[in-house]
Amino acid sequence: MTPPPLLQRAALWRAASLGLWALVLLVSSVDGRLDLLLRAVFHPLVALAGLLLLLVALLQLRLAFGPGRQERGDRRQARTLVLTAAIALLVLLLPPAPSFADLAGQRPRDETAESELSFVLPPAQRSLTDWVRLLRSQPDPRLFAGDPVRISGFVLPMEGESPQLARLLVRCCLADASPVGLPVAWPAGQAPFPADQWLAIDGVMGLRPAPGGGERLEVVPSRIRPIPRPARPLEP
Amino acid sequence: MILTRLATAWALFQGLLIEALPFLLIGVLISAGARWFAPGGRWLRRLPSHPLLGPLTGAALGFALPACECGNVPVARRMLSGGAPLGAGLGFLFAAPVLNPIVIASTWAAFPDQPWLLLARPLGAVVVAVGLALLLALVGEPQLLQADLLAERRLHQPLAAVGLLERSSGLVGAPPPSALDVAAEAAPVRPPLAELMRHASQEFLYLSLLLVMGSVIAALVQSFVPRSWLLAVGGAPTLSILALMLLALVVSVCSSVDAFLALSFAAQVTPGALLAFLLLGPVIDLKLVSLLGLLFRPRGLVLTTAGAALMVLLIGQWVNLWRL
Repeated sequence: MTPPPLLQRAALWRAASLGLWALVLLVSSVDGRLDLLLRAVFHPLVALAGLLLLLVALLQLRLAFGPGRQERGDRRQARTLVLTAAIALLVLLLPPAPSFADLAGQRPRDETAESELSFVLPPAQRSLTDWVRLLRSQPDPRLFAGDPVRISGFVLPMEGESPQLARLLVRCCLADASPVGLPVAWPAGQAPFPADQWLAIDGVMGLRPAPGGGERLEVVPSRIRPIPRPARPLEP
Repeated sequence: MILTRLATAWALFQGLLIEALPFLLIGVLISAGARWFAPGGRWLRRLPSHPLLGPLTGAALGFALPACECGNVPVARRMLSGGAPLGAGLGFLFAAPVLNPIVIASTWAAFPDQPWLLLARPLGAVVVAVGLALLLALVGEPQLLQADLLAERRLHQPLAAVGLLERSSGLVGAPPPSALDVAAEAAPVRPPLAELMRHASQEFLYLSLLLVMGSVIAALVQSFVPRSWLLAVGGAPTLSILALMLLALVVSVCSSVDAFLALSFAAQVTPGALLAFLLLGPVIDLKLVSLLGLLFRPRGLVLTTAGAALMVLLIGQWVNLWRL
């Protein structure tokens, strides 16, 4: 029996489809999009899976050109190839551009109770997430009033109050992101920053009356700088 | 607004897909490894077929083959197509995503101060897996399993194990095994490496498309149904369980990391609801539905979802009675 022409060989189609998935994983590993989608601990796994898929794709390619018995691709395999190609191309050509404010607006706040906290960091080196966790474990706001603050985050509009500066915490992938935020005393008379705008804020912690009685801390900025989205915007 | 939401959904889709693809690959490789190291899968057919022992043995296999729920589907399919007793295959499918060292370790890492959860999660997973295996066994294999899986499975089952009405070939009454059968059973042929690769590649490609479909649905539902609605019920005992079950269906994260996600809202919900979230997600979620469609006919899928939901609800209620 004569072998099918090269372009109709199932092994070639499989090699192409596997190669496309490998490309998706490998390109994602180097073009920085993983920083936007997954927690850093999973990044090596994605790259490794990409390399493995590439290896299998190359073995299938060798099979397609090899001397062994050649299988002719059927309709189902053709469909798999077309669909895989379409999805892989879409993923490669349309990088993710999520709105963090939109995502955070639909999610409940992270309420993780921290049992252990390191207090070694001086106030000006604490990130926004460090501050939120610290305030949760030490609810007396007076302890921190007047502390210097240097944080960055995105503008998160809040229902019924002024926007907060926020970050997204991710345990696995963007699907489980939950927001944490700090109230900010925005300078009076200045046009509000749009949602999702990333800002770096220098200032101090100030006290103000909390809506439910008592006092709460808010960031009183001395300098606000719009910044581009950081390369690694998600926090563990 | 809608464009912003769609852009977010697209990113969620990529996150879910890229996170799950490596695990799917691990599952397919384990399944191929089993074909290579134990050709013919005789060990599969030696698993107990007792209605209780079967699912328990299948569940215990989770410790040997650590894959989360996406990787589990190809392994369970391999078990069932290789002729493993139905109960053992289903026990593995439903319990192994929880009963494996990685998931138990991550649950412990997330909730070190809640030892009851560390015991209740694996125990609950076994109860749900055994319950589902018993329930699905009532349906009967021909009505439960997909046609191509059933056909592969029949090749590996002794004729006597197949009901008369289900047979498409062979004589009525089990014939004595021929000398050829005995020889084949004694020395199964290891598949050539090229054939193994071909099979594994095809399986991965097919499953990855199902995974794409599941991730699209999960991403869209997550983007357009605000999660705060689900958690708004907070402390109400029954409502909180139902809400967290719904959340588990929607979120579709891997069982190896769902404990960390649960940690972020553990303080807002009842203990029964927390356990319900950790039990239901590994059995069924939006991302898994299309993958499970590779094993089950629609009736099996509906029964799995309804049965798992009912059992998890009852377990959650019982835990709330005990812990609240």
